Amino acid sequence: MSERSVRTLRFPRIPAVPLAIGIGILIGGLLVLASGGDPIAAYREILVGALAPSNWPNTLNWAVPLVGMTLVAALPLRGGMVNLGGDGQLVIGGLVAAMAALYLPLPGPLLIAASILCAMVASGLYASLAAWGETRFGIPMLISTLLLSYPAIGIASYLVGFPLRDMATGLAQTRMIPDAARLPTISGPLNIGLILMIVVAIAVVFYDRRTVGGYELRMRGLNAKFAGYGGVRLASQQMRVMFASGAIAGLVGAILVLGSLYRYQDGALLTPGYTWSGLMAALLAGGAPLGAIAAGLFFAGLQTGGFAMQRETAIPRVLTMILQSVIILFLAIRHGVGRKSS
Amino acid sequence: MSTIELEARSIVKRYGPLVANDRIDLSVLRGQVHAVMGENGAGKSTLMSILYGMQAPDSGQILLRGAEMRYRSALDAIGAGMGMVHQAFKLFNSLTVWENVVYGMEPTRFGFIDRREAAKRVATLAERYSLRVDPNAVVGQLSVGVRQRVEILKALYRDARVLILDEPTAVLTPQERDGLFDIIRNLTADDRTILFVTHKLHEVMAITDRVTVLRDGKVVDRMVTSETSAREIIRAMTGRAVNLTVEKRPAEPGAVVLEARGLTVATDGGKPVVDHVDLSIRAGEIVGIAGVAGNGQTELIEALTGLRVPDGGTVSIQGTEVTALDVERHRDAGLAYIPEDRATTGTALAASAADNLAMGFQRKPPLSNGRLLDASAMTTHAKRLIERFGVKIGSEQLAVGTLSGGNLQKVVVARELSHAAPLLIAEQPTRGVDVGAIEFIHGQLVAERDRGSAVLLISAELTEILALSDRVLVMFDGRILAELPAAEADEETLGLLMAGRVRDAHLDGTEAA
Repeated sequence: MSERSVRTLRFPRIPAVPLAIGIGILIGGLLVLASGGDPIAAYREILVGALAPSNWPNTLNWAVPLVGMTLVAALPLRGGMVNLGGDGQLVIGGLVAAMAALYLPLPGPLLIAASILCAMVASGLYASLAAWGETRFGIPMLISTLLLSYPAIGIASYLVGFPLRDMATGLAQTRMIPDAARLPTISGPLNIGLILMIVVAIAVVFYDRRTVGGYELRMRGLNAKFAGYGGVRLASQQMRVMFASGAIAGLVGAILVLGSLYRYQDGALLTPGYTWSGLMAALLAGGAPLGAIAAGLFFAGLQTGGFAMQRETAIPRVLTMILQSVIILFLAIRHGVGRKSS
Repeated sequence: MSTIELEARSIVKRYGPLVANDRIDLSVLRGQVHAVMGENGAGKSTLMSILYGMQAPDSGQILLRGAEMRYRSALDAIGAGMGMVHQAFKLFNSLTVWENVVYGMEPTRFGFIDRREAAKRVATLAERYSLRVDPNAVVGQLSVGVRQRVEILKALYRDARVLILDEPTAVLTPQERDGLFDIIRNLTADDRTILFVTHKLHEVMAITDRVTVLRDGKVVDRMVTSETSAREIIRAMTGRAVNLTVEKRPAEPGAVVLEARGLTVATDGGKPVVDHVDLSIRAGEIVGIAGVAGNGQTELIEALTGLRVPDGGTVSIQGTEVTALDVERHRDAGLAYIPEDRATTGTALAASAADNLAMGFQRKPPLSNGRLLDASAMTTHAKRLIERFGVKIGSEQLAVGTLSGGNLQKVVVARELSHAAPLLIAEQPTRGVDVGAIEFIHGQLVAERDRGSAVLLISAELTEILALSDRVLVMFDGRILAELPAAEADEETLGLLMAGRVRDAHLDGTEAA
């Protein structure tokens, strides 16, 4: 036992994240160079595009859903569980929020609150369906969360394509939601969705660090058998955590629909790929909430910077996606190597 | 007889700041059984993995029959005539004995494996050293003792002149152990050399010719077995005299705390793994369950602790029926539980000592109000337990994965005993733990009994069962085969019962189910 644990000391831990980011930037730069661009200029435009004060609202506005979807992935990941169904939960949240905003006979602020709440509950329930499938029937969540996304996306697509379609535009989208249901703006593209997301982020960090539930989830992530032996009720914990994870996805969907799109539009929530960027950010931090939030912000900066770079130089913004992937790949390699040596 | 077969000169191996092997010299005479003893973390495993080529030393030489060896991997060592039987067997359970033995060195005929020849060679080899094994049996269906023989055959098939046996008796019944000793004698008679790594003193006294004792990575003593005593070896291992017998007063059993009736755990289609087990454990007594691993003890414990819902029967703790309830409800009813495997069940290795010690306390004051944790109370709790149980750890915020086996076990024992629960289930509480920690844990278990707790002890270690138990139950093939008062339990009787041989055990006047 002691011999085994001692052996890991042989490999001093090089901080993996900076290393992966460094390698990502290097490879990205080489790619730009190979395609005849100027890597320095590209990275400068990314930096300016993401971090120049005038661009902050844009970056933040992009960060709200991305960090949200990061938390969606990070929360189960903290307990060693994987929620790959962010897309489906996001779509359900968006659609339910739009429907609630269109059809609930409530006055202003109440309508907003009710729409958000409905979206969160609907997505939360949908996500816990996967947890139930695993605890009751042994269907691995890794598969079921992903598979459950497709019917959700498909049904939402059908609903806005036919029964709920806005006849005025003829596109696969709902009518515009009433003004009363729209999230109040703060400045520019920013709306109170930002504040909601900050509250949720703080709540998740607090849950992780200070609460009994957070402790039990963390222990489960480190050793599920240990948690079960210690008296943690694994099945109900799984249901609760997946509900919370799905509910955050629902919130993100509601914020996007009520805050910037003002209607549910087929495909609009999924095209930016928040779910997958969020999942990568969560993996980057190994599920630790603060780290995941930081990684989510980093990716959001990278992506908004990518838009700016595409505008200012001839380099397509796909570069930032490559950067993101290379970083994750290198992290994965490091983890694999680390596991082998210990 | 006195030629040196294997020699290690000034072997040094460092892991970061820790010196696992510090200038170790070892010389092993041909045809002898040489014991390598030491507490956990003394450097035995490191030394063995260096001798077997699995690791390279930082400096030092290995000489085999006088020639210096430089192993690139264990394959080189095997080629040079080294063999090793690991504690955890490395066998393919779904393959037959001969397939396992010849794997990698199959006799071929026209490019195909010559099955008949292979089986014949294995049978001949087995016969030559009285290793009773059926070459055509499927390994997965063999008992642990027979599997060990397969491992030995594997090494002999590769013509191992030096055989390293790493804790070979840990999984054996006394009778199987005696069988192993006979095999060892056959091997040394054939001029083969045995390196015997163990914790167990009486085995060293029984079978070995010489002893090398390691402590903190250094050789502290070399002895000729016939000229030394168990007490002297312990003193060398620990640096002090250790009390091997457990001082305890006669038990004063009180009310029934744990009661199981007709407890059954089924398997798919086959015979139940736990077959209508009845037991009742009273306050103030230690009841030991003896048995060879794999006779249903694990499943019985799972059913008693709520880790598994039994397929039949009832379990109650202090009068509360908890049969189909989860672990938390078992714990609420009064269960504390030291699990068999401290690393996979008993702790989260990557978590801090404070987090590990808080498990099971996290929903109650003072560590929390049920929802919010009190971080400083967690720290205090951890510090108190670390001090009281003498866990050697730098800080309660360090991950427990860095601790030695004995210290890690102390973390588990500390946590479970600090519940001061009416019922304690201790499963293999001292497995793979050094002598000093064994003494400590045994003392704690007796103290727990004297406090009025009902203690259920499950151990494959007969000496442990005999030293601690007030009553002994023998489990065989899923059933409680016999119940004996401590006074009537001795190694021979228990050994026969553990092998399922009720009739040979001469149970006069004791109940045999």
